[in-house]
Amino acid sequence: MRLAREDRFDELEPLLGKVTHPARYLDHEWGAMEDQPGPFHVCMIYADTYEVGQPNLGIAILYNELNRAEGISCERAYLPWVDMSALMRERGVPLLSLETSSPVASFDIVGFTLAHELVASNVIETLDLAGIAIRADERDEEDPLVIAGGPSAWNCEPLVPMFDAVLLGDGEQEIVDVARCVRDARAEGLPRAQILRRLSKVDGVYIPSLYDVVCDESSTRWGYAVPRPGTDVPEVVYKRCIPDLAATEPVAQRIIPYMGIVQDRFALEVLRGCARGCRFCQAGMTYRPVRERPAEQVIDAVGEGLSATGYDECSLSSLSTTDHSQCAEILTQLNERARQTGVRISIPSQRLDSFGVDMAAAVSGSRKGGLTFAPEAGTQRLRDVINKNVTDEDLERAARNAFEQGWRRMKLYYMMGLPTETDEDILAITAAARRVLEIGREVCGRPRKGKGGVSVSISVAVFVPKCYTPFQWAGQLQRDEVRRRQQLLLNSAQDRDIRISYHDSDVSVIEGALSKMGRAGFDVIYGAWRRGCRFDAWSDQFRYDLWLEAGRAAGYDLEEVAAEAFPLDARLPWDHTSPGVGKGFLQREWRRAMGGVTTPDCTMTSCTGCGVCPTLGVSNMIAGDRHAG
Amino acid sequence: MPGRPPIGKPDLNRLRVSFGKDGRLAYLGHIEIINTIMRSVRRAGLHFSVGNGFARRMRIQFSQALPVGAASTCECYDLYLTERVDADEALAALADSSPTALAPTRAAYVGSRLPALEAWLTRSLWQVRILGSGAGFDAASLDASLHELQEVGSIDFMRGDTPRTIGLADTLVGWQARDVDGGRPGAIDLTLMTRSSNLGALRPAVLLDAAFARPCMGGARPDSMRVLRAGQWHEDESGRLVEPFDQNLLQRA
Ligand code: SF4
Repeated sequence: MRLAREDRFDELEPLLGKVTHPARYLDHEWGAMEDQPGPFHVCMIYADTYEVGQPNLGIAILYNELNRAEGISCERAYLPWVDMSALMRERGVPLLSLETSSPVASFDIVGFTLAHELVASNVIETLDLAGIAIRADERDEEDPLVIAGGPSAWNCEPLVPMFDAVLLGDGEQEIVDVARCVRDARAEGLPRAQILRRLSKVDGVYIPSLYDVVCDESSTRWGYAVPRPGTDVPEVVYKRCIPDLAATEPVAQRIIPYMGIVQDRFALEVLRGCARGCRFCQAGMTYRPVRERPAEQVIDAVGEGLSATGYDECSLSSLSTTDHSQCAEILTQLNERARQTGVRISIPSQRLDSFGVDMAAAVSGSRKGGLTFAPEAGTQRLRDVINKNVTDEDLERAARNAFEQGWRRMKLYYMMGLPTETDEDILAITAAARRVLEIGREVCGRPRKGKGGVSVSISVAVFVPKCYTPFQWAGQLQRDEVRRRQQLLLNSAQDRDIRISYHDSDVSVIEGALSKMGRAGFDVIYGAWRRGCRFDAWSDQFRYDLWLEAGRAAGYDLEEVAAEAFPLDARLPWDHTSPGVGKGFLQREWRRAMGGVTTPDCTMTSCTGCGVCPTLGVSNMIAGDRHAG
Repeated sequence: MPGRPPIGKPDLNRLRVSFGKDGRLAYLGHIEIINTIMRSVRRAGLHFSVGNGFARRMRIQFSQALPVGAASTCECYDLYLTERVDADEALAALADSSPTALAPTRAAYVGSRLPALEAWLTRSLWQVRILGSGAGFDAASLDASLHELQEVGSIDFMRGDTPRTIGLADTLVGWQARDVDGGRPGAIDLTLMTRSSNLGALRPAVLLDAAFARPCMGGARPDSMRVLRAGQWHEDESGRLVEPFDQNLLQRA
């Protein structure tokens, strides 16, 4: 039911003294748009706590774009922590927006950003707390339109029973087009079903209710989606793609939180996309092509962003910042300014080569915490399979360079359960860590005792096959086998200065199942939520047993779902949406992977035929010259 | 009373700024306030001094932490500037760069050798609005309970999981309770004067929790308490109250 738009903060206020971190619910932060004249109102939601959601750059971009648009206002909402939601339910207070404390159920559009698979149960929790019907087909004419987008919208099928529309690809223009379309259609008095039909004409918008799921011998057990008879929607909905990132506003973060948040610094997106072609990486496939902001724009925007926000640290964010063709120039210039103002510049990930180390050294100054590299796999054979184009020598050279430049702690990221992985690949992980440690001891010497020595920590994630990657057909490694290999890894370390941590294999099973399932998977998610699952990304809240139970009740063994491999020629549950990368390219990449053949980065060599550029009419936009490291 | 020394070198300009904390932000913690104000200072473009330590922190010192849940009209900080700008100009720049709910209200330069604010401002005036539906208490009963507490002389309470005791002889200076709206049941305005020392500071919520827990209140409990710090002073040896912006402290250009 659509609720009235009114300020209901006075109902929330008496609860603030009774909950943890009341600052999550206060609003009135610097930069928040308190003035919300509308008359068309959108609420953007990150379905996790304030401190996790507020740093999200995607929401910040959409918030600015919508508030800039004539006649449209945008507010934010986050999911209250369990203590607050319990009190709100007890007192009959619905979920409120931050800016005006209006019920979320009073908005014209409610938009979710799907940052990862585990947010699924929180979306249900959010809708329920807001008092909005959970299933789209149960909503009234006047109810808000519930839409979703973001990096994890790519296999949105298990979630789509909740969404009226899903926005694929770059959202900054798309969201405004969607808001305008809904506003105009409402003004014309169109019924909800017709509003959705009209929305389906907006570039990049997928309307799930206009597609039927068909299961036959050409598909997996999850079926595939086809346009519903009588609708004129496209068979495949392609993502929206901003051709030139430099033409968009670079400073997105304008709201400065009161409370400490995750990544509490000014973040600037220096480039979008990555064409290195790692075969496990969904972002690498779905954000193509590569679009860089020119150095001049980055440098000006950092200055503007820091003085507008008051932050003393700036992160140059992207999928691979050190791949920016003008990275060295940008860092040199920014460091020059930073030295004068006490500001710190950080880059989130390093390339595994000397250039990466040099760039890390450029931003670290005298602070040398840990330096992180991601070889992802232990042997050259497996790195070729996953197309991680680095060698043992690259790792050794980079490590030596880093120790010589003053680092003492090295962090290495790996994945376990990659296709074709054997015990030999696992043992090679600790062997690499030992080599790095030896190099460190050779360069830095061995301290007599305790402090000051070099150390290597290894962090091992469980590989989750994701849609639109060349590994989308692979099954996930079974949970018991993951545990055996984790033990094998632990037993092989044998040096106090090598620390090993690994991801919870139970969580990975659920991520894996959610990544594989089709529309019918919604019953599992709903069942899990009914049993109490929410905040699944928080280890103290995650309940594997309840998820398995929900799976069984819906007729699925989730461990089996996650482990299921799909035939290469099967029609997949997500084939009707596309980031522009062709299925043929992905199949070819799968075959090359199985043959251990690598594929180069098209921004450093020539086009490798992924299909994005011709399909979407875009191209890589590289500001300078890129060359392999 | 020995307190933390001022952090500024004598050649730095010590700008004293007072600000309010709006009721909506009552539940912000001290660290959150500090971080927010430091960002406001950066946005204001003032040339602040930076410490020599590893973290190169802004040289700024705050008055005593306001309890979470309390609003205020009279918080203070001292900001050390490397470049002296007109105090009114600095105030205007800070006002433009601060969230309205934490807006600065006054700024002036003070002597660089004065003691740090935190330990120097020892007296606080509080205004508490206590509301309870269905009543069960009034100003007279609360007054009686506070007198009983004063005779007991101390309060045992929990801060998180840690048991604490605070003596009242020094910390509770005085109070006045009156019924709101000519005797509406369960609505009291309490004015409270407290004194802090290096032994501790008395928080209004701690005092009132203890007062309502006394048998003479007959189990009555307020539904809500709105706490506002309405004044802060230094109490000198003679017991005289000195304002943070006392004429004798100000430094003329
Ligand atoms: S179409 Fe070619 S140039 Fe464009 S992103 Fe794909 S591989 Fe690179």
